[in-house]
Amino acid sequence: MAELVGVLGVTHNPLMWSSLRGSTPPDLVEVAANFDRLRARVGELAPDVIVLVASDHFHMLMMANMPAFMIGKAPEMRAGHPNEGRVFGLPPANLPGDSDLGSHLLGGSDLAPGFDFAFSDEPWLDHSFLVPLLFLTPHLDIPVVPVLTNCNAPPIPVAARFAALGTHLADRIDSFPATRRVLVVGSGHLAHELGGPRQFLGESPDPDFDEKAVWWMGRGDLDSAVASTSFHRLTEAGNESYQFLNFITCLAAARGRPANLAEGTPTRFGNLPFFAWDAP
Amino acid sequence: MSRYMVNKLMWEVDTGDRALAEFKEDPGSFLASWEARYERPVPPHPGGGRLTDAEREAFRARDYGALYAMGANPFLLWQFARSVSVPEEMGIEELISSFREAVAPHGYPDFHT
Repeated sequence: MAELVGVLGVTHNPLMWSSLRGSTPPDLVEVAANFDRLRARVGELAPDVIVLVASDHFHMLMMANMPAFMIGKAPEMRAGHPNEGRVFGLPPANLPGDSDLGSHLLGGSDLAPGFDFAFSDEPWLDHSFLVPLLFLTPHLDIPVVPVLTNCNAPPIPVAARFAALGTHLADRIDSFPATRRVLVVGSGHLAHELGGPRQFLGESPDPDFDEKAVWWMGRGDLDSAVASTSFHRLTEAGNESYQFLNFITCLAAARGRPANLAEGTPTRFGNLPFFAWDAP
Repeated sequence: MSRYMVNKLMWEVDTGDRALAEFKEDPGSFLASWEARYERPVPPHPGGGRLTDAEREAFRARDYGALYAMGANPFLLWQFARSVSVPEEMGIEELISSFREAVAPHGYPDFHT
């Protein structure tokens, strides 16, 4: 039987990749240390497969065709797009997948009741998947089942649906009949802005939101997290803060238990999220 | 207002090397051929709509503040602005400050499509 061995949540800010290539800038020392900690944690957990929940940024999904949630069930897949190579220096990569687990998360021949996923047999993942993998699994050798979420093109799913997604993933992992050690990883942001008046301020656009968000994860307060992250409130935190919702999926996948690492690491790019939960 | 077409144009320019080069070279000429492609597709089908005069003019003038105010998707707008303006037109730091100055008066416009 499959076993959910842990849940992690990390930043996918692609500027971390370009900024941490050479010597570590002083304000990113703690970010590098947190990536090191979580990479070591992945090593200890020795997962057979990673279910990676992250928001696509108009690379796989555009407004011509915009599902809320999509599962990639290909045996292998591409990651990294040419414009991300041009701007962030992200290396294109091929990743192994896990079709059996991907199909099981969808539901098998019938979609599982309660979750009408879209699916893809040819996912092409962007930086929200590749950045976490490059830091956590530098050899890119652990099979990935990507769960693509829409956090960038409103209307986006409400927070309660991101919580239901986490519960669904944990339930389906528990019921997967083959032997697998499964790690769930989510990527996203705390308060974050891009393309608006508060981008690149040198600090978080909403430190109060960040403090609460970290508290919800550290205390295991799923109800408050869901109740406090409406589209309107997330916009107040910054027009890219919708991607925090992926961490609500993580908290729900961890069955709402307190995280044993919950931090918004302060940097000139804002407070960057790092979360870790033990197996439920 | 045709936010979808604005987003589609920005996305095609940012993700297509040839489109990016053509837009940088001559936005007016790029716009004419891009719009013609979607207005008179072969075989005929709706290509997503048309740009308005105001949107066309904002693209021609690289007026990021106007595009933002009209409800362009902020993420796509920033990717587009960086790709078309940096480094030939200006450096990244200059774009960050001029972009902020351009969008700040408009607050947080609705960017639903």
